[in-house]
Amino acid sequence: MKLVVLAKPVPDPAAAAERLGPDDRLDRSAAPNVINGNDEYTLEAALQIADAHPGEVEITLVAMAPANGAETLRKGLAMGATRGLLITDPALAGSDAWSTARVLATALKDVEYDLILAGFDTSDGVAGVVGPAVATLLKLPYLSSAAKIEPDLAAGTVRVRRISPTGFDVLEAPMPALIVGTQLLGTPRYPSLKGIMGARSKEVALRSVTDLGLATAGDGAVGGAAARTTVTAKRTPPARGAARVVRGPAADAAKEIAAFLAERRLI
Amino acid sequence: MFPAFADVPAYPLVFVVFWGAVAFFALAMARHLRIFAAARAEGPSPLDDVPARLGGLIRYAFVQTKMFKDPRAALMHWGIFWGFVLLTVGTANVVTGGLVQAIVSAPFDGLLWAAVLAMQNIVALVTIGAVLWAFERRLIEKPARLELNVLAVPLRSLPAGVLEVGFAVMWWTHMAVVSAFLLYLPGSKHLHIVTSFFNIYFRKLKPRGELPAMDLEREDATFGVRTLADLGWRDLLDGFTCTECGRCREQCPAWNTGKPLDPKHFIMGLREMSVEAEQGLPLIPNSAIVRDAYGLDDSVKPERLMKPIVDAAIPYDAVWDCVTCGACVEACPVLIEHVDKIVDLRRNLVLEDSRFPQELSGAFRNMEGVANPWGQPPSTRTDWTKGLPFAVPTVAELAAEDRLGEIDVLYWVGCAAAFDDRNRKVARAFATCLDAAGVRFAILGQEESCTGDPARRMGNDYVYQMLATGNIETLNRYRMGERTIVTACPHCFNSIGNEYGQLGGHFRVMHHSAYLRELISTGRLRVLDDGPARSVTLHDSCYLTRYNGVIQEPRDVLASVPGLELREMDNHGRQTFCCGAGGGRMWMEETRGTRINESRTAQALATGAEAVATECPYCMTMLKDGLEAADANLGGAVKAIDISELLADSLAPVQPGSRALPVLQ
Repeated sequence: MKLVVLAKPVPDPAAAAERLGPDDRLDRSAAPNVINGNDEYTLEAALQIADAHPGEVEITLVAMAPANGAETLRKGLAMGATRGLLITDPALAGSDAWSTARVLATALKDVEYDLILAGFDTSDGVAGVVGPAVATLLKLPYLSSAAKIEPDLAAGTVRVRRISPTGFDVLEAPMPALIVGTQLLGTPRYPSLKGIMGARSKEVALRSVTDLGLATAGDGAVGGAAARTTVTAKRTPPARGAARVVRGPAADAAKEIAAFLAERRLI
Repeated sequence: MFPAFADVPAYPLVFVVFWGAVAFFALAMARHLRIFAAARAEGPSPLDDVPARLGGLIRYAFVQTKMFKDPRAALMHWGIFWGFVLLTVGTANVVTGGLVQAIVSAPFDGLLWAAVLAMQNIVALVTIGAVLWAFERRLIEKPARLELNVLAVPLRSLPAGVLEVGFAVMWWTHMAVVSAFLLYLPGSKHLHIVTSFFNIYFRKLKPRGELPAMDLEREDATFGVRTLADLGWRDLLDGFTCTECGRCREQCPAWNTGKPLDPKHFIMGLREMSVEAEQGLPLIPNSAIVRDAYGLDDSVKPERLMKPIVDAAIPYDAVWDCVTCGACVEACPVLIEHVDKIVDLRRNLVLEDSRFPQELSGAFRNMEGVANPWGQPPSTRTDWTKGLPFAVPTVAELAAEDRLGEIDVLYWVGCAAAFDDRNRKVARAFATCLDAAGVRFAILGQEESCTGDPARRMGNDYVYQMLATGNIETLNRYRMGERTIVTACPHCFNSIGNEYGQLGGHFRVMHHSAYLRELISTGRLRVLDDGPARSVTLHDSCYLTRYNGVIQEPRDVLASVPGLELREMDNHGRQTFCCGAGGGRMWMEETRGTRINESRTAQALATGAEAVATECPYCMTMLKDGLEAADANLGGAVKAIDISELLADSLAPVQPGSRALPVLQ
């Protein structure tokens, strides 16, 4: 079985160093890059499928990012993915969610897969539309908010547990399909040293805009030129207020916290 | 034929009975060694620092200094030990047909031999007394650390043959006991009478706080320890040296708070695994010719040692219960190294299997991603300096102005003091002391990373080496090898001082207690003449006292604070009881047993002191939490406070202009 995991290199949110550059685009050099947190959950789901079918599953990480994204993808390879595919080209700078989805969809036309897994959203862009857009462009069944993914290779179908406000729905679709996962898929594993060492020699293929047959201008344009959204204004979020710490014996503290939440109609 | 034993019926049988037993013993010991040989071919060299090794042998094996922490047990053991040694002279004579007597009788017209005989009788009495005392301890006194070893009872009761029930019976009984003891010895705890000398001779001479180095680039290597085959022979010798005395477990904070970790059973378990690995091996191995000619290959194959240690000698949970405080190592009279082995087990679990308590994943990722286990942005590393009435320059700033040569010391702040609210106050207090003493200091600021200690103790040497090599590069770039580094964190102190050498970083590092003491004793730091009378107790950090011998320094600092009275806890100095945060436990949930910090807090409160002085940021956090949770601490009156904070509160006002001219030089 062949799985594709969309894994976006993003500035590490823990470094709290996300900055906008002078062109109002994210300054990707300000912080070390990591694989987007939510994408790691879907990668974990893919790895669990691979664990359950030893030797039968290949996992390809696919991303669109600046060239240093190849090193970030190695972290996913260290966790256990088979190979990486990075679409990188200076012409892609300034892409919005739509143009990103189009580039990914184009790149995926040359990739064999039974399932594409995408994270809920990314910590830098927080649009949450690239996954569904890729599904639309590739005309794939789209299963969202997955808490559990159960492919049935013999039947050629995949069954997904989709969380809902009241519980969960069970969805089934023929493969290939695209699934957007949630954090309920399971905590991403920490790579072993053997995994880290092994990742050094795994392949990360690089593709440029030209390789994909996309143009930098005109109808097939990519990057900022093809973006359908523009930044019109920006504002720094207000600093977070001080936390209120509840102290005292557990029973009293619990009452106080409950009252605090009730007062705000949160419970 | 043997005139000395003419009255012993069938005396020559001794050569069959006793020497047969000796032969069995020798072969059984050789079989142990065949297992040792199949283990990892690493261990101390016998020629490495012979004087230190011989000195250790005298100190720990003959004088038995470690035993004297429990003087009653020490005296009892002395009686049996020296009795055994001296009575062996008599036994040696008996089993050699009077050879010893023949030699010793030669000078002084036999007077010396007469003296030996007289001594034998006295020694026998002393030994019997000591043995009876040993029985009293096991049957009546029953310290929790001791378990009655049933096999030992019939053997121990008959060392001397004092009952006057027929010479021949007793003589042969004695011989039978001695022979039987030799048969019993190779697989028993009593083997320590042979092995402890070797275990002590081959003791770890490196700093206790220096974990074994790891080469992460070796592709064929097993990382850490999974099976007996991954242990070095010295580790297996530890197993065969364990006397089952239980001093390790008696001191272990995890065991004392009801956790599954039992250091004694861990080491015993390693011995049991070794003995199990020997099963089916012939006592006399086939010779090479027999092996080749008949295909009877009975050599020890590595497969024999392939059983994983985790969940055999030690439960998985217990591997993670260890706070690496070293209380077990400190307590062990025969110098067994428990902690290094436990960390080696963690290394294997983490690096090969990615198997560790889930909450560690966050700490690992934080150290890897933002170079501190708190997961705080590096840009906030210098936030603690905001609002101080003096400037705290970074090394980079000074280097840019070519003023790096001006500084006396580099203050290594550490992540706790940089990111944790409570410990930031400690950093401010310590910096205030430095400033008041006119010390010119700088910090690395955002260029400082976690030293990697928590990662290393949690078994993640990959992250440790990444952080450590980064720090070494930074420190060397600013030529800090030529200066003094001072830190208030015992864990940073231990790593930089004892462990960075493995990666090529050689630095002079001082703990802030030592540096402050120096500032006080040289008169650079002046304290007020008077202060309010108050009492404190000092909670010693394991990584300072046991690991690095820093015991008196913080006490001297406290003594200089006016009005302060120090009330010691029972467990202090090298016998300190861990706060519960060492060995990466700071980053793990404590779900098993009761909480170690609460146990330690209770000990601190029992002194009746009005404050608990600390000297380590982890201890600060743990005791602060413990004091806040303690029912006995009414109204939260007793607080944890760092020694530098106590000192900063008592500083004499700095006279204007004095900074450039230190009072005394």
